Amino acid sequence: MAQVPEYVRIVEEVFERYRGKPFVYVGTYRQRWDAVAKVTGKALFTTDFLKFYKNVVWVHSVRTKYAHAIIKNIDVSRAAKYPGVLRVVTAKDIPGVNDVGYVIPDQPLLATKKARYIGEIIALVIAEDPYVAREAGDLIHVDYEPLPVYTDPLQIVDLDTLKEKPHTRIHEERDSDIVAHFKIRAGDVEKALKEADVIVENKYRTPMQEHAYMEPEAAVAIPEQDGGVTVITSTQCPFDARKAIARVLNMPQSMVRVIAPFLGGGFGGKEDVANEIGSKAALATYLTGRPAVAIHTREESIIGHSKRHPMVTWYRHAAKKDGTLLSVEANIVLDTGAYASLGPFVAWRATVHATGPYRVRNARIDTIAVYTNTVYSGAFRGFGNPQVAFAVERQMDILAEELGIDPVDLRLKNILRAGDRTVHGQLLTEEHGVGIEEAIKKAVEAADWYNKRRLYTRQTGPIRKGIGIALMYHGNSIGVEGADYSSATIIINRDGSITFRTGLTDMGQGAVMGLVMIAAEILGAPPEWFRVELPDTSSTPDAGPTVASRSTVMGGNATLVAAYKLRKRLNEVASTILGCSPDDIEIKAPDVYCRSDPSRKTTWNEVVEQSFWLGVPLQEFGYFRAPKARWDEETGQGEPYITYTFGAIVSEISVDIETGQVSVDKIITAYDIGKVINPIGAELHAEGGSIQGMGYALMEEIIHDINGVVRNNNLSTYYIPTIKDAPEIIPLWVEAGYKRGPFGAKGLGEPSIVAIAPSIVNAVSHALGIRFNEIPIPPHKIYLALKREGKTRL
Amino acid sequence: MAGSETVIQEYPDIAIRLNVNGRDYVVTVKPYERLIDVLRYKLGFTSVKEGCGRGECGACVVLMDGKLVPSCLVLAIRANGSKIVTLEGLAPEGKLHAIQKAFLDTLGVQCGFCFPGVIIATKYLLDRVSDPSDEDIKNYLEGQLCRCGSYLRFIKAVKLAVKYIKEGKIYFDLKEVKG
Repeated sequence: MAQVPEYVRIVEEVFERYRGKPFVYVGTYRQRWDAVAKVTGKALFTTDFLKFYKNVVWVHSVRTKYAHAIIKNIDVSRAAKYPGVLRVVTAKDIPGVNDVGYVIPDQPLLATKKARYIGEIIALVIAEDPYVAREAGDLIHVDYEPLPVYTDPLQIVDLDTLKEKPHTRIHEERDSDIVAHFKIRAGDVEKALKEADVIVENKYRTPMQEHAYMEPEAAVAIPEQDGGVTVITSTQCPFDARKAIARVLNMPQSMVRVIAPFLGGGFGGKEDVANEIGSKAALATYLTGRPAVAIHTREESIIGHSKRHPMVTWYRHAAKKDGTLLSVEANIVLDTGAYASLGPFVAWRATVHATGPYRVRNARIDTIAVYTNTVYSGAFRGFGNPQVAFAVERQMDILAEELGIDPVDLRLKNILRAGDRTVHGQLLTEEHGVGIEEAIKKAVEAADWYNKRRLYTRQTGPIRKGIGIALMYHGNSIGVEGADYSSATIIINRDGSITFRTGLTDMGQGAVMGLVMIAAEILGAPPEWFRVELPDTSSTPDAGPTVASRSTVMGGNATLVAAYKLRKRLNEVASTILGCSPDDIEIKAPDVYCRSDPSRKTTWNEVVEQSFWLGVPLQEFGYFRAPKARWDEETGQGEPYITYTFGAIVSEISVDIETGQVSVDKIITAYDIGKVINPIGAELHAEGGSIQGMGYALMEEIIHDINGVVRNNNLSTYYIPTIKDAPEIIPLWVEAGYKRGPFGAKGLGEPSIVAIAPSIVNAVSHALGIRFNEIPIPPHKIYLALKREGKTRL
Repeated sequence: MAGSETVIQEYPDIAIRLNVNGRDYVVTVKPYERLIDVLRYKLGFTSVKEGCGRGECGACVVLMDGKLVPSCLVLAIRANGSKIVTLEGLAPEGKLHAIQKAFLDTLGVQCGFCFPGVIIATKYLLDRVSDPSDEDIKNYLEGQLCRCGSYLRFIKAVKLAVKYIKEGKIYFDLKEVKG
């Protein structure tokens, strides 16, 4: 048995000590540290920094006109001569490695031999003015030899066999256009099928979803005196961006400084694209010696950054008459588009979650990610889980229908409880916090489920109501995907104010506020005393990537460890001042006193000042590394994640059967997130995730035509929910407590979208008695289905 | 395309006069420059955000002679002589407008990129409808996209702003606001 590291012991000790006790700051409604800056317009997003720099050059990306073509020649001579143009950059001008791939090095920064999707960049124009740069870009002449364009993954592979079909290889440098293959082999599926009373078998499709964060990607690069470069860019992963930029520029990482200012939304989309746009600006600075800016237009953003993987899948569930699940089988095809991006990791997470939060003893799951000539797909809130959750939760509803069992009852019969093993053989115990049963009960009660379900079953008239449920679970942090560490620094300044640093990015949802509240609780100083410094690779510690709902758990643990160590020292210093034991010290800043005798007291500032005199350092670095995950490549057995967030969603909808228009009336979300650290942050996640999930269910889909051109590359053709679409949302919480999370907390960022779409589609299917197995379901699709089934009559 | 002739032309500089947030400015612009470019990059009013450049997202809206306009769709030369209000000009230095205070108090701040536009659009709404219904709020804010999904908080915030204004509380001292 390996020794448990000190930081793990600290997290567990704090969990036990605070369990069930009242909190001072954790769990309270508080104004965010950045709120005033954001309502006054003072908050600086990437391009806002331009106002501080003069002599700036603009970088324009010249993109391919063909989604799949061999590049025979690039002629930049006319563009280079255009007035105002400083330089035209092609791949040969890159001093380092021409690659910005995230998981595997398959993605050039500037294409040389081949274009693989419509956003592919051929050259950069550096000019004095953005308009000039764009005009000159049109003068670049490229000779292409067009190749067949594949926009559907089933043109590349067969869904039944998951084998490649004959086609022109998209990645000719690789053996295959299948990027990744993950499996689960559990129990004996053949035997289960023989014993089954009911078998439900269906195909599902989910769309390519666009993040549509309000701030398109951007980067500002500034030359440094020693030849290095500073890059301000909208990124979730400043340390990964630094790594990529350093490789492109052929510089040590120490010469590249990446600053991540306020992000105008991320949702996973600002992971790898920062490698690209940061490199473009850095390259322009490197080549011209001047500050450089690259800003994507909305159209470039939509065709040029990663998306949510479209999924095509086949599922087969087998069950006994009483509803007991016997087996689950699935063939899952994820379309990763032109480049792998985070595709292999997404495919892995999809595989892990492919059977849903249920007791499944027999399973065969095969997930592959394949290249096509569509915009590349990567990380998006949920990361492969919303796709499989849609299929699994539709399967559960169809199974319930076939068995004549209420969908809630069928789920209650099969959910994971403490003491059960997941499909991967991972034993879930009380220590993980398994609160899904409680979540279902809360959501069902708040929704008045059984009554409404009955009431909505036989309706007439133009408006039909429906109610649907969906469950989810979501592995916290990154599991076996990579080095799962995090860190934070807390500095108590001599005047008693506190500086907080972490390399984790707040994408907007308030994760960093949660960290501040954790530190405040441990230290005994109010969150308002903290000043948060935004991620900067030169000053904030490397906290790993801001992905996978890991900020609160992993960043929270690192923060907790730093605060714990500081608190210990403060207690010791206070003890020398007050003469009671360090364990007896209570800090409720500005007051510091002995718990046994509150009349013996001093102040926060006095303790801080004394620490400086006594030589007690008041800076602390906190680190946390998740216990190592295990995964067997052949069987999918092991312990893929440290723990899971659970959730139950109930949606109520109305459908107008004369138009096919769905309006979502109410969404009730019940999530087990262990412990609610920052309630307003949690509520906003529940609301925002619900609205984004509603878009996924009803209206959002990036459409490529047969030539691989994106038909809806702006916000008037790619629809996202507006204020008129927003339903009533009721967030409920279960706090089952995870022993190795800060105060028991688990992540919510990604979980908040996972089960929204299936709960809505289950409700629509309930309202109309029509099975919808594809999303999105915009009005015309619903109307056509009604017509097909002869149900348009009032 | 190669072979076709492109006429390379120098664009003239044009001086325009703008009143932004109560101050007069004379700026030199190119004929193709947009109002948003001038506000952000020449005058430093970076609360005006660019989300789409096509008037679809609402992030760049400003009040131009009292009208709500997407500043990405207005050529700078067309704005010559007009009065512009951006978020920076909603309240005097050191103060918060009731609308800003209400958006703070309803705790709906997330990434904040859409907030300047949302707050300006709310100002436009309240200048016209002093006590708006939910429907009014949704109609006036429909063009303000928010991907973080703070929409439900917007409705609460507008109502709270109405309450503050009715109580005569137009400005709040920034120092008294926790944050």
